[in-house]
Amino acid sequence: MIQTQLTLLRRELWEHRSIFITPLVVGLVVALGALTGQVAVSAFDQAVDLAILGASNLGERERAVAITVLMIAVSTPFVIAMSILAVFYLLDALYAERKDRSILFWRSMPVTDAETVVSKLLTAILVIPLITFAAIVATSLVVLAVSGIWISMRGGDGGQLIWAAAPLFDNFLVSLIFVLALPLWLSPFAGWFLLVSAWTKRSPFLVGFLPLIVAPMIERILVGTSYLNELIFVRSGKVPLFSESGFDPSRYMFSDSDRPMIAEDAATSLLSYVDPVRFLSSPGLWLGLLVCALLTAAAIYIRRYRDDS
Amino acid sequence: MTRLVEARGVSKSFGTTTAVDNVSFTIDAGRITGLIGPNGAGKTTLLKAMLGLTDCEGTLSVLGLDPFRQRKELMRNICFIADVAVLPRWIQVSQLLDFIESVHPQFSRPRAEELLAKTKIKASAKVRELSKGMVTQLHLSIIIAIDARLLVLDEPTIGLDIIFRKEFYSNLLNDYFDEQRTILVTTHQVEEIENLLTHVMFINDGRIVLDTSMEDLPSQFTELTTSGSRAEEARRLGPIHERDTFGKKVMIFEGVSRDTLREFGETHKPAIADLFVAKVKGAS
Repeated sequence: MIQTQLTLLRRELWEHRSIFITPLVVGLVVALGALTGQVAVSAFDQAVDLAILGASNLGERERAVAITVLMIAVSTPFVIAMSILAVFYLLDALYAERKDRSILFWRSMPVTDAETVVSKLLTAILVIPLITFAAIVATSLVVLAVSGIWISMRGGDGGQLIWAAAPLFDNFLVSLIFVLALPLWLSPFAGWFLLVSAWTKRSPFLVGFLPLIVAPMIERILVGTSYLNELIFVRSGKVPLFSESGFDPSRYMFSDSDRPMIAEDAATSLLSYVDPVRFLSSPGLWLGLLVCALLTAAAIYIRRYRDDS
Repeated sequence: MTRLVEARGVSKSFGTTTAVDNVSFTIDAGRITGLIGPNGAGKTTLLKAMLGLTDCEGTLSVLGLDPFRQRKELMRNICFIADVAVLPRWIQVSQLLDFIESVHPQFSRPRAEELLAKTKIKASAKVRELSKGMVTQLHLSIIIAIDARLLVLDEPTIGLDIIFRKEFYSNLLNDYFDEQRTILVTTHQVEEIENLLTHVMFINDGRIVLDTSMEDLPSQFTELTTSGSRAEEARRLGPIHERDTFGKKVMIFEGVSRDTLREFGETHKPAIADLFVAKVKGAS
């Protein structure tokens, strides 16, 4: 059972090399960006030296906050790329095998349709996030190392400024929690795209997205309410992972006049803002998972019953 | 003798068209059965029902299982080649073997590798880099390495050149077939498999029009070559089919003894292809 599932997951990684390539490309772009950024600002000799001097005089807490902000900046493109990758993966997962008729081969193996479809859902909501997490860790370490070396080359104390201050473990733990929690919160979409992939005869991308955009518009025009808009667009952005009073990026580090300032009450890492109880006790999470389960069951049903090969 | 397939009153409709119409038959272990029918006769639908790929009405039992509801169990003991193009094009040969080895309890990887070593197929090659004939060789090698009780082949050699087709069937017979194993094959190139078959089934318009063993065939059907007035007399015995060849009349009779017919001309065992035309035209 577990052996079969692991084999099926491995199979997905063989087929969809983009699962590795996407985070790798994002990592290279982010790391190169950090490097060129540092080379570019080196032109402003005096200002940079002053900044390093200023940073050296910051308190330990402020330095930790600054590095946390840097790490958030490094992680964000990975999370965006992960979401896009997962959508494309899911739309392709049960569509490509029908298009090239290889479904007949896969179904000639002693594997149930449920096992196969579940392996595709797990790839999207577990495997892709875990690979993304590994890429975030690797890229963050590279960016911090490059920054440390760069500061040292300019006469600052890179070891003290970067490594001593960095709340590495806490921030990585938050990244891990976030990349695992986000797909759970968005799981109804995963179920929906999987269903579209199993069902549509052509253009899964269009069939997947058009209803998400058109249905709220129709509801608005015909009924005058906006429940669907709320469910599809507003809910997506409100992952109840951080404590209600807590994480607000605009307050975390704000610009006062023209110098960036660190908020008085900012914690040194995001870990203290993570509120697992709030997340796990959110009815929205469990309702979402239920919707995902129903849509996945429908995808399994279609793969099993439809015969269009 | 073990009964592998038992179909009683099996039907399958798509909307208003009936693809398979109240079909009953059995297949015992150790047979090589040819299922012959024109396009759209219901062959593929019937095979799909037997493979659990589609639901049907009536009672259908394959290896004692309900194919549609117990597909996973069934697939441990059944193999099929649906058509040459179904191996995923992106996969590497070695990955394919890894996958099957880990999900299929009856698969012997050493056996597959031994068979592949005789071909030009490399373990590092991707399916998309192989020619059509090589893909079929690959699929056949995999299937021979699976210790399955029933092998279903649906047009396995379609689109292949003559050398690959001959090789396919000779490998199948030499490496796969024995008394324990059973094959069900459909093809348009009947002549090529005629000598392999132990049994033959004709299907037309969703119905089985003939189901017999190759051994019994000559006692049931006779082909008579005759001409002139003798043809007139022979025609009174009610041939199921008649055609002209080089000015002679060739008639096929069902249930008329060969001794009786010998008085009117030369008698032969009819070729499957000719018999098929006779039965299908006769039925329509």
